[in-house]
Amino acid sequence: MKHVVSVSLGSSRRDHQTDVAIMQENIQISRQGTDGDMVRAKDLIESLDGHVDAIGLGGIDRYLVVKDRRYEIQDAKALAGAAKITPVVDGSGLKAVWEPYVIRQLVARGVLEPAQKVLLVSALDRFGMAQAFYEMGFATVAGDLIFSSHIDYPIASVEELEEFARKLLPDMIKMPFAMLYPTGSAQDQAPVENSYGKYFEQADVIAGDFHFIRRYLPASLRGKIMVTNTTTAADRELLQFRGLKTLITTTPVLDGRSFGTNVIEAALVARSGTLPDDPQWDRVVMQAGLQWDVRVLNSLPDSGKGD
Amino acid sequence: MLQTLEQFAEACNTNARLRQMNRDWSRTIAILPTDRPEVFWLTSKEGFIQAGQGPVNAADLQIRADHDIIVAVFSGTLSPTEPYNAGDLLVKGSQDDLMRLDIITLLIWGE
Repeated sequence: MKHVVSVSLGSSRRDHQTDVAIMQENIQISRQGTDGDMVRAKDLIESLDGHVDAIGLGGIDRYLVVKDRRYEIQDAKALAGAAKITPVVDGSGLKAVWEPYVIRQLVARGVLEPAQKVLLVSALDRFGMAQAFYEMGFATVAGDLIFSSHIDYPIASVEELEEFARKLLPDMIKMPFAMLYPTGSAQDQAPVENSYGKYFEQADVIAGDFHFIRRYLPASLRGKIMVTNTTTAADRELLQFRGLKTLITTTPVLDGRSFGTNVIEAALVARSGTLPDDPQWDRVVMQAGLQWDVRVLNSLPDSGKGD
Repeated sequence: MLQTLEQFAEACNTNARLRQMNRDWSRTIAILPTDRPEVFWLTSKEGFIQAGQGPVNAADLQIRADHDIIVAVFSGTLSPTEPYNAGDLLVKGSQDDLMRLDIITLLIWGE
């Protein structure tokens, strides 16, 4: 059986192991968190190199793909470079191809409606999803500056998002990654100050990275829809308690949790032998039989206990 | 140096987007060249930036570097990240404030 490991900068409390069927073949997948320790993550990747079929990079993006430009985060490049034999992937290839497709399918099936207001907590790491929301007419706020840098400035168009990417990313990719994104135990800490509840209140759909969402999660999610992944059974209980109407994960739910895109991408690479920068990658993703997951957590309009 | 900081402040103040981004950011920033005796400051209040020379009390953020590095950063010829990563630009204060200053300079001069 093929074996892939996700080496994550996230908390080791979320470690797990299971099997997933990709293209009619079972693949063993496991996640190993390193609690934000870059040295430990690099050592782990070195030790896995040549012994597993693919490695996923979790809790960190290697590539930020915005329109026709790809920016490489230097810390992630250094981590990936620790493997000389085994391919290392970060999920960006899956996010670019699969997530916009999922959004369009959810609209086609009436699960999402373009009249809804969307809060995408971070868009530069999932530009495909952002572009799908904007292009389909959703009034969408990208919260990259708000939730990553604590600058209360909502980005409200795809053109402005692209401008921010062109101006900021060539420099920001050189910063220590921990300055850009919570790693290790920081993922579990509530923010000192949270004055961004208005953006959650105004949104019908809350989308994007679940660590950002959970950090700023308001008391009430009554009637709202969430599009994310990497949620666990405990996360679902929390969201149900807060009144969330529907939880949509763009990756399949296995053993009660939806896996990170890096895990699924690593499994696809292990199974197909095709890397995300291969011209055949889009076809591999679309023919892999991936499933998104839609779960109604509170079916009645006034249900939930979040107020 | 003062002229550079004043031009930086003007670039911020004439940029509507930066004024909106900084509308709730009230800070005093001490600029301390390590190779010159003079000290400078920037203040941010209600979206507007001011620059001046002289000591300040209770700065929220202290920036220390050689005169030429500070001038290069605030005139847009050098991004703050490079000297910061190299240890040539020392910042004492919150990470959020450092990040915001970086973003401001990139939005003025980036691309």
